[in-house]
Amino acid sequence: MIKCSSCGKRHPENTLFCDECGAYLQAEEHKRTAPLAIDDVDWTEADLGVTGALDENNTQPVVVRLSIADSGREIEFPVSKEITLGRLDAASATFPDVDLTPDNGLEKGVSRRHARITRKASELYLEDLGSVNGTYLNGKRLTPYLPHALKDEDEVRLSRILMHVHFA
Amino acid sequence: MDVRVDYYAALGLKPHATPHEIRTAYRILVRRLHPDARGESNGNERFLRVQAAYEVLRDPGQRQAYDRQREAEGLAYRPALVIEHTLSYAALPLMEEEQMVYALVRVTPNPEIELKRIPFNLCLVVDRSTSMQGIRLQRVKEAVNTIIDGLEDRDVFSLVTFGDRAQVVIEARSQLDKASAKAQVRAIHSAGGTEILHGLWAGLTEVDRWRSADTASHLILLTDGQTYGDEEECIAEAQAAGERQITITTIGIGQDWNDQLMDEIARRSGGTSHYIDSASRVTTSFRSCIHTLSTIFARDMVLHLRSAEGVQIHKVYRVSPYMESLDPRPGILAPGHLDADRPLSLMFQCLVRTQRPGKQRVAEFLLEATVPSAAARSQQVRHEIEVEVVDGLELTGPPPPHMVSILGKLAIFEMQEKTMQDLAAGELEQASHRLETMATRLLSIGENELAKAALLEAGRLSRTGSLSPEGRKRIRYGTRGLSMLPKEVHGDQM
Repeated sequence: MIKCSSCGKRHPENTLFCDECGAYLQAEEHKRTAPLAIDDVDWTEADLGVTGALDENNTQPVVVRLSIADSGREIEFPVSKEITLGRLDAASATFPDVDLTPDNGLEKGVSRRHARITRKASELYLEDLGSVNGTYLNGKRLTPYLPHALKDEDEVRLSRILMHVHFA
Repeated sequence: MDVRVDYYAALGLKPHATPHEIRTAYRILVRRLHPDARGESNGNERFLRVQAAYEVLRDPGQRQAYDRQREAEGLAYRPALVIEHTLSYAALPLMEEEQMVYALVRVTPNPEIELKRIPFNLCLVVDRSTSMQGIRLQRVKEAVNTIIDGLEDRDVFSLVTFGDRAQVVIEARSQLDKASAKAQVRAIHSAGGTEILHGLWAGLTEVDRWRSADTASHLILLTDGQTYGDEEECIAEAQAAGERQITITTIGIGQDWNDQLMDEIARRSGGTSHYIDSASRVTTSFRSCIHTLSTIFARDMVLHLRSAEGVQIHKVYRVSPYMESLDPRPGILAPGHLDADRPLSLMFQCLVRTQRPGKQRVAEFLLEATVPSAAARSQQVRHEIEVEVVDGLELTGPPPPHMVSILGKLAIFEMQEKTMQDLAAGELEQASHRLETMATRLLSIGENELAKAALLEAGRLSRTGSLSPEGRKRIRYGTRGLSMLPKEVHGDQM
């Protein structure tokens, strides 16, 4: 028997979710994002660009492809409003749109809610969500919670995971 | 071994026969065909065929080799439906206590079979009560016209309106004269109350006239109000319709309709219910109904379930195309249609008592379905779920992420169901507390709108003691539609 730590209900062994309060029962304490030694911090200046001045009505989704350097994985998705990047962790019920767990996200210091790509009109922006190990755009570290314009062929690094951005 | 000979047919069996069935079939045939028993020799050839077949099929190794060679030669029987499953854990530790095993079962069409659209036998049953007056009725008329435009000559179409009484506006027929049909639609005006039962009766009568095994018989019921006093009869009619293979889609507009009744009518007939907050969505809603109808790959699916010894099937949910709790107790599930472009996914929660190290069977099921596009219309597919039991304490790795994500959403869905039960039982404090917890879980998976609605209703509940009709519908239909895939992301390992 296992006991739900949030409401106290008892469940059979290996139950994954409490049916009473919806809590994830296989909490994995060790899966916290550990700060990595910072090697090259080079903070970038805010460049907010012109937001939403043009094409305010353009709702055609922009298709973005991310190629992850180490694992060789390619992820393609349309951005119509917002896409979150991070590491899936059911214990805290974090389900990012792009889960970097298969690319060794945990070992490489990716936070559960690490960064997001947002869209205003036809422009895309990259924003760090206060991650432990930072988000880098073309080698420069982003100020947390400040969106930066994202361009085709940009190089993005979430902690130690390097990826290239292509607009389709 | 001769791969050109169908050994299964020689024993009168299907290729998915179990070893037990093979043995039984053989024994019966031998008793009947043995030369000694018959006292004649012309049955000998048949007897030898049975003998040869059994020699191969009795031995698992030889049977596998035979199946593989038949497959390679293109002689094998290919089921029209493909069943796969994923388990929460690939291996379970051996222990005396019961353990929970989750199995996500996916049924998809065999991609080699091309979908053939079967003709519709469709009836629209539309509410024309006074509350529909104005823009609502106008939008509904436009939506009806788009359906009429999309009909093929072989489709049967009928239109019924109801207020205090029902009226057949367009009688069921194929080769509809579209221009005159639209003129009749134009003439519809609003009047009277909302007597759903009359509408259902008239609509089902129209559908019944053209009902056949080769058409998709369907009724779409659209209303914006409550019916009074005839709820039980409506549900009974829906149940009877389902038994005649007529499915019903219910669509509720606005806030004043009875969601429980609409759900029940749809569910009993094997259909789905929808909520639209504004009349401008009627066309989209009708279109998606028609799309679903025209992409039916398999119909009348029936799943016979058998759990293995020491296993109890605790709960079963449909998780795709929409969420629904199913009752596993009778050992038979009827999941209805399979769409060509949306797989059917079922989540089984099983309590397993491990017996000894090695493979242990969890459940076995047989899926029966009618597949109009396949050469053999009536299809049967067998599937087994086994789990590896290991003598050790550690589980192998975490459960697959997509499974955890689906179970997380199911947990939210379950909380929603419990909230509604609490409300019905008058446990207001409990319900309001549950809504708050639900809001937290929704927020953390990024369902901000739905979370907001849940929080708002939790507050209203503790202040006024009831939910707003609108909030209630938003929460019920919102949780049911929690998308099963991470939104908008469909890229994967390449």
